[in-house]
Amino acid sequence: MSFFPSAAVGEAQSSVSAAEDRQTYSEREWKGNTTKSLLIRKGYEAIASEFNLRRVRGDNYCALRATLFQVLSQSKQLPAWLHDSDISKWPKEIQSDQDFIKEWQFPFETSKSKVQHLEQCLELLKKRWQETVQCRSLEERERMCRQVFRGHDEEYELLEALKFLMLRTAIHLHSDMEKGSDVPEFCWLLFARDSSKCPKTFLTNHLRHVGFSGGLEQVEMCLLGYSLQQTMRVVRLYKCDTEEFITYYPNNHKKDWPSLCLLTEDDRHYNVLVPKKSSKFDAYGRPKWNPPSDGQPSITTRL
Amino acid sequence: MSFIPGQPVSAVVQRIEIHKLWDGDNLILGFSIGGGIDQDPSQNPFSEDKADKGIYVTRVSKGGPAEVAGLRLGDKIMQVNGWDMTMVTHDQARKKLTKKNEDVVRLLVTRRSLEDAVRQSMMQH
Repeated sequence: MSFFPSAAVGEAQSSVSAAEDRQTYSEREWKGNTTKSLLIRKGYEAIASEFNLRRVRGDNYCALRATLFQVLSQSKQLPAWLHDSDISKWPKEIQSDQDFIKEWQFPFETSKSKVQHLEQCLELLKKRWQETVQCRSLEERERMCRQVFRGHDEEYELLEALKFLMLRTAIHLHSDMEKGSDVPEFCWLLFARDSSKCPKTFLTNHLRHVGFSGGLEQVEMCLLGYSLQQTMRVVRLYKCDTEEFITYYPNNHKKDWPSLCLLTEDDRHYNVLVPKKSSKFDAYGRPKWNPPSDGQPSITTRL
Repeated sequence: MSFIPGQPVSAVVQRIEIHKLWDGDNLILGFSIGGGIDQDPSQNPFSEDKADKGIYVTRVSKGGPAEVAGLRLGDKIMQVNGWDMTMVTHDQARKKLTKKNEDVVRLLVTRRSLEDAVRQSMMQH
C-alpha cells in the first residue's frame, strides 16, 4: 500500500513526511566515501526495489511514532486483544493492583487525574485504530493519518497510550516470570538490567522518560511489538552485511502476527517504510494474475 | 522453455496423440495436470520460470493412454486439439481434455530435457 505524495503545504508541521524515493534521500544524506556512508547507502540500495521512505519527526518519541504510524496506516484489522477487551478499564486495574500510575509523566498539561487521562488516551487509540482500519480508500486513510500526525495533543495521547500498553504487558510478563511460567526471551533481558529489575523501576527509570530524555532500547522494541501483537520488522542500515540487517521485534511470531516495517540507520532514529505498489507485470513483461481468494492455491487433477 | 523477450526460445515441441480409454463409465487419459492462471505457479516443480502459470503434466500413469502416446512427466501442454492452453484456468484445461464426445486428443507439448524433468520431480519429494 503506497500513498500519493502529499502536497508540501503543512509539511513542516507534519510528524511524518510524504513518501519519498529513498535513493535520492540516501544520496543526499550520505554523500562521501567513508566506510559508514558506503555501508548505509548499500543498505538503502538493498531495500530500494521494495520500499519508499517516510521520514518521522526526529524526537525521542520517534520509535513509538513510527510504530503508531504503521499501525494506523497499514493495519488490516484490529488485533484480538483490542477487539475483545475494554482497554479503557486497564489503567484503573493497574492502579488498584500496584500504585504505579502516579509515577507517570505526560508531555502535556492535564486537569484530569493521571488514571483518567490514560483512560482517555486508550479510548482514543482504540477509536482511531478502528477508524483507520475501516477506511474504504487509500486516500481516506492517508487523510486520516495526516489528521493524527500533526504534532498536536492527539498524537501525543496516542503515543502515551502505546507506552501504557508496554507497562501493562511488562507487569504481566514480570508476574509470569516470578511464577516460573514461560515468558519470551526478551523478558529476561528487560528485567536483567540493574535499572529495571521490576515493573516499577522499569517505569520510573526507563519508560516514563521515553519521549523526553530517551528513546526505546532494542529490548523495549520487543516489548512494544509484543504488547501490540505486531511483529516489527526493522531494517537496520548500519548492520548491513550482517545477519542483523533485518531484525524482528519480537522474533518468534513472524508468521502469526501482522508485520510493521521500520527503518533505522543507527538504532536511535526510526523512519517508516512503505511497500512499493507492486507492478501489474512480472519481470518478463507478462501480466500477473491474482489467484482467487477461495479455492486451493495449487491443485492437480487426474484425467 | 521460459519466454524472455529478445532471447530465442529453445524448446522441443512434441505432438502427442492420446487415445482415451474407457474405464467403466469414464473416459480416462492416464495423466494428471497441474497449473493454470488461477493457481499458484511457485509450487510447480517442473517449470523453469516460477511465474509460469501454464498447464503441466504432473503425473503419468504407467501403461496408460498418455504414456503410450509419448506424454512425459513435466511436459507443458501448449494446445489441446487446437485450443490454446497457455492462458487458461485449471478447470478450463480440465474441460478441454475431458470432452465426452472426443475419444482422441491431440496435444502440443514442450519438454525440457528428460534429466531436468526427473531431477525437478525428485526435488519435490
